[in-house]
Amino acid sequence: MTATTAEDGFTATLYRGRWVFLRFAAYLGAMAGIAAMAKFGVGAYEENAFLYQILSMKGLIWGGTGALAGCGLAIVGSVMKPTLPDAKMARNFAPWLDGFLLMVILASVWALFEPAADQISYENQSNLFSGRVIMAMNVIFIFSAVSYIAYLFAPESFIGRIATWSAYAGIYLGGSALLLRWHESYLFDMEIGHAPVSNLYEVFILLCCITAAVYLALEKRYQAKAMGAFVMTLVSAAVFFDVWLASVGQGDIKPLVPALQSYWMKIHVPMNFVGYGSFAVACGAGMAYLFRHRLEAKGGTSKMLKIFPSLDQLDQLAYKAVAIGFPAFTLATILGAAWAAEAWGGYWSWDPKETWALIVWMIYGAYLHARVSHGWHGKALAWWAVAGFLVTVFCFLGVNMYLSGLHSYGRLS
Amino acid sequence: MPRMQTFPDLLKTLWQRVGSMSLAIILLVVLSIASVIGTVLLQNQAQADYLQQFGPLWYWVFRSLGLFDMYHTWWFISMLGFLMVSLTSCLWRNIPKMLKEMRTRKVPVSDKALKRFQHLHEWHLPAGVGVEALQEAFRQRLDGWEFKASEQGGNHYLRADKGRWNKWGYILVHAAILVILVGGWIGSEYGFRGNMAVPEGASENEIDFLQGTETGHLTMPFYVRCNSFTIDFFPTGAPKEFRSNLTIIDHGKEVLTSDIIVNEPLYYKGVRIYQASFGDGGSDVTLKLYHLDGTGAITTAKTQVYETWTDKKSGVSLTLTDFKPYNVENMADPGQPKDFKDLGPAVIYEMRGPGMNPVKIKAFMNPFIGPDGDNRGSFLMVSSTGDKADYKALSLGIDLTNPNEWRLFHAFMKHLGEAHKRTQDSARAAFQAAMYDVFGRDKAKWPKNFQAMAMRTLQAVRVLPSLQWPMLPMLVDYKQHYYTGLQLAQDPGMNIVWLGSAMLVFGLCIMFYMPHRKLWLVIRPAQGRMHISLAGMVNRNHLVFTKYFHDVFTKLDQDFGEIKS
Ligand code: HEM
Repeated sequence: MTATTAEDGFTATLYRGRWVFLRFAAYLGAMAGIAAMAKFGVGAYEENAFLYQILSMKGLIWGGTGALAGCGLAIVGSVMKPTLPDAKMARNFAPWLDGFLLMVILASVWALFEPAADQISYENQSNLFSGRVIMAMNVIFIFSAVSYIAYLFAPESFIGRIATWSAYAGIYLGGSALLLRWHESYLFDMEIGHAPVSNLYEVFILLCCITAAVYLALEKRYQAKAMGAFVMTLVSAAVFFDVWLASVGQGDIKPLVPALQSYWMKIHVPMNFVGYGSFAVACGAGMAYLFRHRLEAKGGTSKMLKIFPSLDQLDQLAYKAVAIGFPAFTLATILGAAWAAEAWGGYWSWDPKETWALIVWMIYGAYLHARVSHGWHGKALAWWAVAGFLVTVFCFLGVNMYLSGLHSYGRLS
Repeated sequence: MPRMQTFPDLLKTLWQRVGSMSLAIILLVVLSIASVIGTVLLQNQAQADYLQQFGPLWYWVFRSLGLFDMYHTWWFISMLGFLMVSLTSCLWRNIPKMLKEMRTRKVPVSDKALKRFQHLHEWHLPAGVGVEALQEAFRQRLDGWEFKASEQGGNHYLRADKGRWNKWGYILVHAAILVILVGGWIGSEYGFRGNMAVPEGASENEIDFLQGTETGHLTMPFYVRCNSFTIDFFPTGAPKEFRSNLTIIDHGKEVLTSDIIVNEPLYYKGVRIYQASFGDGGSDVTLKLYHLDGTGAITTAKTQVYETWTDKKSGVSLTLTDFKPYNVENMADPGQPKDFKDLGPAVIYEMRGPGMNPVKIKAFMNPFIGPDGDNRGSFLMVSSTGDKADYKALSLGIDLTNPNEWRLFHAFMKHLGEAHKRTQDSARAAFQAAMYDVFGRDKAKWPKNFQAMAMRTLQAVRVLPSLQWPMLPMLVDYKQHYYTGLQLAQDPGMNIVWLGSAMLVFGLCIMFYMPHRKLWLVIRPAQGRMHISLAGMVNRNHLVFTKYFHDVFTKLDQDFGEIKS
């Protein structure tokens, strides 16, 4: 996209220079305001009321003040430096935050469909509306994966569009379902309420959404639709796993053990999954690379090759995904260490989960070095991206299943 | 043939090798693989468990390699040390080069170098087009870039840089790892971390910690007194909050009293005090001993958790191991919706005695109340192996909290023994006689629920005589005391670690998201025309740059077109 390409219409205006910049500043301000409320507000942060602290008058005041302050700063900043509103950061991040806002609105709409208060029981949670939204997400993600695969064989642009749009729809359904679940957790009993990132079932929904979102961000910029077949297949695998989890009764909302009642969890866990999701996308790119390599080796000039990004591009895409994931994962690990320092008395205990996070980190660190250093070429790096993701899967799933440690709340029982 | 090398040369080569990227890759992979071992092999368990698990040979091998406390072995630490050396070496060699490169920006490029650029576009414009106008268009199109111009041999060079400080990212990231490792080393060398269990009402100033495979002790410069410990529960019965009220006593003076909960530690004199665990701190319990010798005798025993109480007459000893005021269990059948119920207080003890196998018993204070509110009598959980998984529920039939039922049971046994033949009728008669004994002849004064009592007594007749124990110790009263499990830690290296962490994240962001992009506009007048080249180069993220370069080219193409006409 170029700044001079004149696009008209409302949406175009919404995404141009000043407006994006102002909106971005307002979002940041609102988030800072909420964070400040959690830290310094009267009564400060309470695990079992946080959602309603945000949604109450108090939250409105803190968040609203933050948003206004953000706008103010943005205006002052752009007067002092007129080029500031063109900052790429705002243009890159504002759409994500817009999407988040849309999820909040969707979740509020879903909340209207909730069963009556006397129909809600902790013992039987099957009638909660989030379950239905999650089921819709499952279906649509699988549909999207099928469409992406169909697109490989029949590269019609409308099939591609359907695939992309259904992936978007899945993200919005999943994200809003999680927000709705947060609200639902308070319906049983105010004391039980907590953010929906506390058990394997919930974080897998998060993982599906983040993976799809990271992928779509890349697709949008680099026209890498053929890669979608691989990434969305991984997402579908996660969807099936989640369906299985629910079927064995792991999908219920449960109260939070004392160690998890901390605002750190709300930052640490999602940040971790930005890392995991990006690594999944890198794995998808690696698989696409190996697939194309195979096709080329067979000497094919099939239709499929035409829609595939080139080997070099796929290599770059895998790198790009790791470049998103690696800093996020680093930050997540550091946040985890900070939390451990506050909850357990030490930032690092060589607990299996921590150690595996370190292993994942070192594997991708080595991947990044291998890219720069000589001797490592496309195919080997593609394999590395795939293998790295297997290690990642073990880190967030295998450790919970096979190894014991302080992180055992995520256990399968 | 390798050349002969002098010793300093050899050192220099070695130093370079140590700081090479291939070595970094190898080191990272080897460290990863080594780390796996410690997560698969449970660390710092009791040596006896290891011996049992692996057998003498492998136990000895693993132990010699230090695998039971792997992350503190000399070889693991050495690998981290080697990583530090390697990092130092690569920083040492690269920093001066990078700083120089960042400072000096060479503007002119030779024709030959120009051809080798990753991205290159050319225009040929008629002579007479103003160089300034072209350069101005270039400057206008590159917002936020740094420019440097120069003229050489009639050629005009204009260089633009963005993300010129990108190499700082590299420096920060690699230095950060060094800083973190140094912080960690300081913490492990000059800090401590250990546990302390303080019963309610008591004070303590010593912490225990694991030192390799042994337990070490350390005395704090102050005492911690636990005034109280409380647990809050969710409606589901799961614990919600553990809270200790602590007082710090420094040199005999109470200096600080505060509550701590998980995630909210207390800070005193550089030491952080965390809520880590809890347990029974020696609760007072009263047991009633129902003797099973047929005499119907009941004696009482007052004792404490963690004590062993011995009955002098029979030689039976009870070792109390735990007391729990709440025992929330899922009472639903498998597959049914969960149904949590609190079964009330229970005490756990091991009973030993002459002529009996030792057993571990969890004795509940209250009788079991069924789903319809029906009293199903007192009950125990019994484990003959002492293993928690082997607990089996044992329903005693009668409700021992009601003394009449114990008497009724004995009266019934007596009358049943007197009967000549065991028939339905004789049993009924015996029960009636027993009821007369216990409640009198006036049936109006019998308890209303005596039918249920009869059922329970029948069950007791089936169960109690088959027990091999001399007595049934049941919990009747308690005064609970908790201990609070605290963790105390001091880590002087922690802030250094946070500093390193900040550098790491900051550096990564610079490294990945602010690539160093360079563009040149080279204008060469030749043969009555102007050769204009746009050349570009980036050190990472080529995908984006390719697009960007193309973009700039298109825009400049427009601009130059306008300038020309
Ligand atoms: C063992 C010692 C290490 C050495 C000798 C080393 C060396 C290097 C070198 C020479 C570069 C290339 C710089 C450039 O592209 O201009 C580099 C890049 C990098 N290093 Fe290291 N490094 C070491 C350890 C680490 C560690 C432990 C990490 C963290 C995992 C790390 C993370 C990185 C990253 C992320 C890059 C950037 C790669 C890229 O995006 O192109 N390095 N390292």
